[in-house]
Amino acid sequence: MKFGATLSGLFASRRTPVGSETSRAVNRLMPPGAAVRELDLLLIWSAVGLLLLGLVMVYSASIAIAEGSRFTNYQSHYFLMRHSVFLAVGIGFGLVAFQLPMTQWQRLALPLFVGGVVLLIVVLIPGIGREVNGAQRWLSLGPVNLQPSELMKIFAALYAADYTVRKLDAMSSFKRGFLPMMAVILFVGFLLLREPDFGAFVVITTIAFGVLFLGGVNVRVFALLAVFAIIGFIILIWTSPYRRERIFGFMDPWQDAFGKGYQLSHALIAFGRGEWFGVGLGASVEKLFYLPEAHTDFLLAVIAEELGFAGVVLVVGLFAVLVQRAFVIGREAIKLERYFSGLVAQGIGLWMGVQSFINMGVNMGLLPTKGLTLPMMSFGGSGIVANCVALAILLRIDWEVRQMKRGAGS
Amino acid sequence: MSKQRPVTFNHNPLLKRELPAWRPRFVLLALLGCSLALVGRAAYLQGINNAFLQAKGESRYARVIEVPATRGRITDRNGDMLAVSTPVRSVWAIPADAKLEPADARRLAALLEMNVAELNDRLSSGRDFVYLKRQLSPDLAERIAALKLPGIHQQQEYRRYYPGGEVTAHMLGFTGVEDKGQEGIELAYEKILAGAPGSRRVIKDRRGQIVEDVESIRPPREGEDVVLSMDGKIQYLAYTALRDAMQEHKAKAGAAVVLDARTGEVLALANAPTYNPNNRSNLTGAQLRNRAFTDAFEPGSVMKPFIVGMALERGKVKPTTVVDTAPGRMTIGTATISDSHRMGALTVAEVIQKSSNIGTVKIALQFTPDEMWHLFEQLGFGAPLNLGFPGETGGRVRPAKTWRPIEQATMSYGHGISMSLIQIARAYMVFARDGELIPLSLTKLDGLPSNGRRVFSPQTVKEMRAMLETVTEAGGTATRANVAGYRVGGKTGTALKIEGGVYTKKYVASFVGFAPASNPRLVVAVMIDEPTAGGYYAGTVAGPVFSRIMEGSLRTLGIAPDKPLAPLQLARKPGEATPATQARENM
Repeated sequence: MKFGATLSGLFASRRTPVGSETSRAVNRLMPPGAAVRELDLLLIWSAVGLLLLGLVMVYSASIAIAEGSRFTNYQSHYFLMRHSVFLAVGIGFGLVAFQLPMTQWQRLALPLFVGGVVLLIVVLIPGIGREVNGAQRWLSLGPVNLQPSELMKIFAALYAADYTVRKLDAMSSFKRGFLPMMAVILFVGFLLLREPDFGAFVVITTIAFGVLFLGGVNVRVFALLAVFAIIGFIILIWTSPYRRERIFGFMDPWQDAFGKGYQLSHALIAFGRGEWFGVGLGASVEKLFYLPEAHTDFLLAVIAEELGFAGVVLVVGLFAVLVQRAFVIGREAIKLERYFSGLVAQGIGLWMGVQSFINMGVNMGLLPTKGLTLPMMSFGGSGIVANCVALAILLRIDWEVRQMKRGAGS
Repeated sequence: MSKQRPVTFNHNPLLKRELPAWRPRFVLLALLGCSLALVGRAAYLQGINNAFLQAKGESRYARVIEVPATRGRITDRNGDMLAVSTPVRSVWAIPADAKLEPADARRLAALLEMNVAELNDRLSSGRDFVYLKRQLSPDLAERIAALKLPGIHQQQEYRRYYPGGEVTAHMLGFTGVEDKGQEGIELAYEKILAGAPGSRRVIKDRRGQIVEDVESIRPPREGEDVVLSMDGKIQYLAYTALRDAMQEHKAKAGAAVVLDARTGEVLALANAPTYNPNNRSNLTGAQLRNRAFTDAFEPGSVMKPFIVGMALERGKVKPTTVVDTAPGRMTIGTATISDSHRMGALTVAEVIQKSSNIGTVKIALQFTPDEMWHLFEQLGFGAPLNLGFPGETGGRVRPAKTWRPIEQATMSYGHGISMSLIQIARAYMVFARDGELIPLSLTKLDGLPSNGRRVFSPQTVKEMRAMLETVTEAGGTATRANVAGYRVGGKTGTALKIEGGVYTKKYVASFVGFAPASNPRLVVAVMIDEPTAGGYYAGTVAGPVFSRIMEGSLRTLGIAPDKPLAPLQLARKPGEATPATQARENM
């Protein structure tokens, strides 16, 4: 405990009679207040806020569906109970993940990613993968179902960070830096689109290429890729009126309000009904069988109706804080040359930011309807557990960085 | 602390390649920009465009529903409940939503008391809406709701309950399954009882359940209560007396009416056969008939007092004028009229007391057909009373021009002319109230009615009342219509029935009378159709029923007896006529 004295000195609130000059010198390096904290409180509170608000809103959004369905045995608290269990399990996994040093995570990144790919293959095997509403996304594990694509999001962040760190000096090379990752993502994307799970495909692709981008991939390569992607996209929709309609249908849901625009039109009505401060918790009408997926993909619409604009701003704000903290943690890690940790943190931030933006954008009719849940909030076991583990990894990185700043080994 | 730059301690070539610091900043800014876009979009949707969106929402789940008005109650004149509405529930289904497991279908069918095949049959119909069962008791409905079956719904309805059951059945009538009046008072006073439904704007969930009450557009106007002129006790008396007579005489049908002579209020109205309005599953047309109102019959001798009254009024005869009825037969044209037995020379009073056809005909033929027709018209024959009752008949009185002499003759003793029991009862009001005819009322009146239409002078009526009293006294045709303690006046009628234009050997026995004769308060009319046991003469069949109803009614109303106390006669002198031989009358 060579640093014991220094450590105790860091706790500025504790007046130490031992050499006030030393204290002053240390405090100059590390101001009081920031020093006493073991973890990033803003991150914790924003995450806890999202998780708890999610729990309440999942209950509120699901109460009518649960009570009126034979599937749930008419128990109004069916989804509440399950979501609570998922949260508990997620926190349990999170505690385990927090124990693991980042060096270990780096070592595990590749095996985990390969394992995830295997699961994605397994889920496509007829008879093993469970199909719901035409999408084969789940593996049945006794009483619970596992959704590999949710886990794949963490694995992708870990793997992309590991890949980037390993190839740090090749980042400017298209062939050595970019192409292998491209190939891997194309393969994973192919598997995801077979399920199909377009939403997960978008998120995982964004995480992987985002981490690559943050890791310093040649900007020109990236720009070129983006231009090609945009041109390809334009050609795709230009050549097919049907596809054009599918993609841009979301812009005017009232045109076919009872057909393709049904879900979105009800989500928008929910927003309109909520006004500034909402109709009150529990008073949503849209959740009464009008809005499909009210407790999963369209949870925000119920929040908007019951808690109003204020509720929406709260959710958007909490996500913004969460993402900002993730990027700050990442930046601090990178400053300390913990590149893997830094990229993982920023990858997770990117994940949360992108997925929450897409989900909320879909809810508000800014983006075409895609099956993506609201991270940390929507009902769904695999999603919540994956989010909790990601959060734990973020906190681990933060903790390690703080330990380092205090000089606790490097 | 962000100003702190990492301190490098060595120059490892790997670390020369630092990660570009602008990229995370750029990505973070982009993401925060997205957040701002979301906030902006939310503000637009929730703060600016919300009226449009709410209107869209309204059109999807706001509905205007009808708020049913509670149907008014019907009470008797004393306020006793005769008809009340009780809440019930009807079970209906949307067949497309109602996909039941076999076990659920069995459970539901058991609760609905249907068989499963019938239930499945209804649920597989192509319609959007089917009733499974209507008017279930609230607790049974609750048990069905507890099954929580998809596509099975309930709605609140009202079921009419009649505490009086069959006693008041014909007077009240009943409502149909839609709670609309179908018969009787329920139909006649439908508008007053039903009120007017209101409407409300509500929000329904997608399964049709009301989840929010937005506003009331129009409050319902509740139905008003109707207070009948009926007196529950008198009604019960009339009903039981009629029922007992039906059994005793094994008659086909019967009816009885009690009127308040001072006000024209109908105090009781009973028909037989009757039915239980609370359970109408095995209803027949015969049970349904409100005979007192809807069945016109040839009244027979109860007509005679009107002819005699007119003759007195016109000064053609006096009560003491002698009419020769010998030899008990009389030929007009090709037809022959007869009395039931020879009576020889009778005073006009005796013509009434002993009910001589020939005597009446001889008096009647002093008038022109027109004069007689005018009398009938004044008495209200040939036109319905228009009390609002369904199927009310006016009877049949042919125009005077078409009358042949034989027809004028038979009409004077109540054949060839028809009317309902309520019409005869009302016509007898002229004897009960000094020659005036007033409209009848089914509802309770405040105070006395204004003067009615005068048919006979008070003097004529006084003489007629004295004659009609003799009918129930010794030597009259209806001594069994007497009421202990009261002076009773009235007239029997035993008419042959026509079936298919031909007179049969079937009879209608009737008695119409009033009491107390000194100052009449009540008019009671009784009709027994086709008595087949215990005689058919009105005096023995209808007379006792009249007596029982009249006696009970007088006592119920607390009307003072007007008959001087007579010593009790325990035995008769030999040779004196027995009541049985006196209780004779002609047709």
